[in-house]
Amino acid sequence: MKIKILYWFLIPLSIFGQTKIDKNHSSQNIKCSTCHSCEIPTKENPCIKPCPRESMIRIDQKAEDAPRILTIDRIKETDIYAPVKFSHLAHAEMSDLAGGCRTCHHYNPPGNVIGCSECHATQRQRTDINKPDLKGAYHQQCMNCHRAWSGNTDCISCHEIKGKEKVIASVTSDGKKRIHPEIKTPDKIKFDTNIKHGKQVTFYHAEHNELFGLECSDCHSNESCVKCHAVEKVKSPKKLSSKEKHKKCSSCHNTESNCSSCHSNFEKGGFNHAVVTGFDLTKYHGKLNCSRCHTTKSQFKGLKNECKNCHGEWTWENFNHKITGLVLDDTHGEFECENCHKEATYTKPECSDCHEDKSYPKDLPGKKVK
Amino acid sequence: MANQSRRDFLKTSALLGAGITGLTSKPVKAAPKNILDENRMGVLVDTTVCIGCRKCEWACKTAHNLPTQPLESYDDRSVFINMRRPDDKSLTVVNEYPAQESNSFPVNVKVQCMHCDKPACVSACIVGAFSKEENGSVIWDGDKCIGCRYCMVACPFQVPAFEFEKALQPEIRKCDFCFERTKIGKLPACVEICPMEVLTYGRREDLVELAHHKISLYPEKYYNHVFGEYEVGGTSWLYLASRDFSELQFPKLGNSPAPGVSEAIQHGIFAYFIPPIALYALLGGVMWLNKNRKSGEEEQL
Ligand code: SF4
Ligand code: SF4
Ligand code: SF4
Repeated sequence: MKIKILYWFLIPLSIFGQTKIDKNHSSQNIKCSTCHSCEIPTKENPCIKPCPRESMIRIDQKAEDAPRILTIDRIKETDIYAPVKFSHLAHAEMSDLAGGCRTCHHYNPPGNVIGCSECHATQRQRTDINKPDLKGAYHQQCMNCHRAWSGNTDCISCHEIKGKEKVIASVTSDGKKRIHPEIKTPDKIKFDTNIKHGKQVTFYHAEHNELFGLECSDCHSNESCVKCHAVEKVKSPKKLSSKEKHKKCSSCHNTESNCSSCHSNFEKGGFNHAVVTGFDLTKYHGKLNCSRCHTTKSQFKGLKNECKNCHGEWTWENFNHKITGLVLDDTHGEFECENCHKEATYTKPECSDCHEDKSYPKDLPGKKVK
Repeated sequence: MANQSRRDFLKTSALLGAGITGLTSKPVKAAPKNILDENRMGVLVDTTVCIGCRKCEWACKTAHNLPTQPLESYDDRSVFINMRRPDDKSLTVVNEYPAQESNSFPVNVKVQCMHCDKPACVSACIVGAFSKEENGSVIWDGDKCIGCRYCMVACPFQVPAFEFEKALQPEIRKCDFCFERTKIGKLPACVEICPMEVLTYGRREDLVELAHHKISLYPEKYYNHVFGEYEVGGTSWLYLASRDFSELQFPKLGNSPAPGVSEAIQHGIFAYFIPPIALYALLGGVMWLNKNRKSGEEEQL
């Protein structure tokens, strides 16, 4: 009889703070067949699919939830080197820009992210030779990236000689602040392209970080370690397609049309709200985050430069004209705003409705203050 | 384990059966030396994970009481400038072949005796100093060796080395698959030390299966060939690589056992009815002359 595969409703579970596989994982929204090869897995015969298990269900934790330093001392065979003190947090932080936890933890059943020794045997002499032992697994994992950027395979770049261990500062200091050394980011990057009418793209990197508040991982994901760490920058030998080249930008910008918003034959200036939208921020809104006004994420259109979008309706009673640097005299102070300000942005007032001979800013409806 | 215990179980039941029927009271003896044991061991060398740290070279020397530099000196990668061969001072060496693309790694290849299933050295040796053991090792017995060096000529991998520098009792030297260690249940020294587990020690049959499994899992990573599966009739040491083995200086060999050459020496001679004793006398004479000339040269130095 063929048993139907059940789709259970996802029951909210705390998946952190547990070791090994989550007991209630059968009630999660996962097909049994994702991980099990038989129809009815039991405790005695869980029939977990054999390795490699990269494509099985996997979870990601936040870097801060991961252990800070791991002392790798489960391999007792060798007495040449001291146990490696592995800066797990620093690596976890970097993995945000790569593939997350799965960059290294290639098998994560529902539950907590599991450590290497859950699957890889500590003994080299063993009967199951289908996966490397723990020592091999660690080294294959580490060296695969480490030798990529340095070409260095010296044992002492990770190990200390037994009996000659130094205490590393980062191991003893605690606290949960980032431990990766400060990353230097460029202010702007100029790209030369082969677009005829717009050879140059000037990318304002700092603006994206600081002004637009993007996190590194918002743009940099699935990067290889080499991308940042290579001593000699390795150029990708592959020719990238136009689509691949625009990939990083196109998650926010429309790169299909409107080429000239980025491409030009000269160096373009940085982002200027007044130029792009006609709404000058410098006078009153300079210190605000974009998201104070643009409240829907990644949605910047639709505010139409109207004050009331954010401020509501202004009347002579609820608006203190003094903040504009001009205190209205008694006569003007009781008019509705629209009597003088015809535009929705309340810029230049119009005097000619009432006064034939007066005009702003030659004549003022009050007194200037500082 | 499952395999092992099932076999043990079969053996035991065979024994029991035999005991009951009273046909034999002797324990079932495993295969004699010249028949390949199905449980013979081997090593799968996955060159795609080797980092060229040369710890295996150090471990091999240490395990065989050969003089060696301190372990730290093995980090020096400048040795890779030259291609090296195993010799009487290093039973195994690691070579490096440059990366083909800027974003790939160089390929490091450990070289040692392949422990052939149909070893040419065994066939070539006229006094039977070489033998293929039950556990897969091809080893050499100094007491029998007359120093004729036929093994060196016969080996398709040019492995056996001769201690040319020694005037008195020079020995043939080659990787012995750490026979003295495996005999007492230890791993071969190189297998034990390798940090990357490039070297997987196991039943040859399982290793062949594992090698093909790896290729099928990562076809983009591996060149689709298990070197040693069929070469010269199969070898106990098997190799996986990311590129064609001929680019890594593996000899191009047929699948039939290579020893043709050397067997022809013996069999050819027998075919012409020259009794073995005459052959030994002749060869002995040649050896004696050679040896005398050699020591004479050395005295002059
Ligand atoms: S010890 Fe292992 S990784 Fe190091 S050179 Fe030898 S085979 Fe390669
Ligand atoms: S590789 Fe050479 S020395 Fe080793 S077993 Fe084969 S023939 Fe003999
Ligand atoms: S098996 Fe033993 S003798 Fe052969 S290379 Fe390895 S350590 Fe040396």
